[in-house]
Amino acid sequence: MIKDFILMNGYGIFVWTSFVITFLVCVIFYYKTLKTLKKYEREFVKEIEELSNEQKKTVLSNSEIASRIISSQNKTI
Amino acid sequence: MFSLFYNSNIFIWIERIIKFINSIFFIFLLIGLSFALIFSPPDYLQGDSVRIMYVHVPAAWIGLSSFSLIALLSILHFIFKIKNLPLITKSVAPIGLMFTCIAIVTGSIWGQPTWGTFWAWDARITSMVILALFYFILILTHKFISDENKANKIACVVAVLGSINIPIIKYSVEWWSTLHQPASIKITGTSTIHPSMLMPLLFMFFVLILYCALIFLMKYKTEIIRIKKKNLKRYD
Repeated sequence: MIKDFILMNGYGIFVWTSFVITFLVCVIFYYKTLKTLKKYEREFVKEIEELSNEQKKTVLSNSEIASRIISSQNKTI
Repeated sequence: MFSLFYNSNIFIWIERIIKFINSIFFIFLLIGLSFALIFSPPDYLQGDSVRIMYVHVPAAWIGLSSFSLIALLSILHFIFKIKNLPLITKSVAPIGLMFTCIAIVTGSIWGQPTWGTFWAWDARITSMVILALFYFILILTHKFISDENKANKIACVVAVLGSINIPIIKYSVEWWSTLHQPASIKITGTSTIHPSMLMPLLFMFFVLILYCALIFLMKYKTEIIRIKKKNLKRYD
């Protein structure tokens, strides 16, 4: 039964290749996108850390996005 | 009400939706794959090779609809100058390119058992390759032109020019004699596909749409952070 499922009456090679290619491309694309997002988050937090205390305060009070990214980065750490 | 469209509110919603999709995606994917590979029946002519349809057709739909969306948003941006629209088109383009390529590759694999060849310069296939080229130009425009306004203008022109190809892709099977079969699923009119195949197909389309939404939101979030990062430079 499993053999029939894999072979699919001789069409298995075509069906499985199509599904595997689609799945692999999607997984690679997902990880690449996630990696880029995390890289930008890290760089953003690093640049905020490099600001003076006064500037940091201004940025964090003006930008909810900045505070959210910093808190999410702290959670990751 | 308009506060909903502020970047900070959009950002919060993006994070929530990403979490939600991440939590449900694998269940939906497993159900979709089970139907596509096990429960749906083989075709009376094509046999089990018809299962390729469950990735090929949704990928082609996504490739086409993404470009239509990009063209529409580019025109809207050109008229109304809404600053978030280029961010959306920039985030959608790589997804569209990926699914167009998947449609071409899986279509080519499907071609071997069905037509006896992996490739033919058929009207539908050729117009899909042209679509992939337009996506490629769009992505390269944003990558290599540092002046964002200039890049957006060029991308808008590319998107409008590329949108001419969309009806050509859609009607290529009717206008020319092609190897590719005519559409089996019609929005207006009766579909010629059996519900036992239509339902898994629509479900797989829904699963891939979820995936697209996830990638789009991650890319859009990256774009927002990139802009915020650029704004930080003002403090230097």
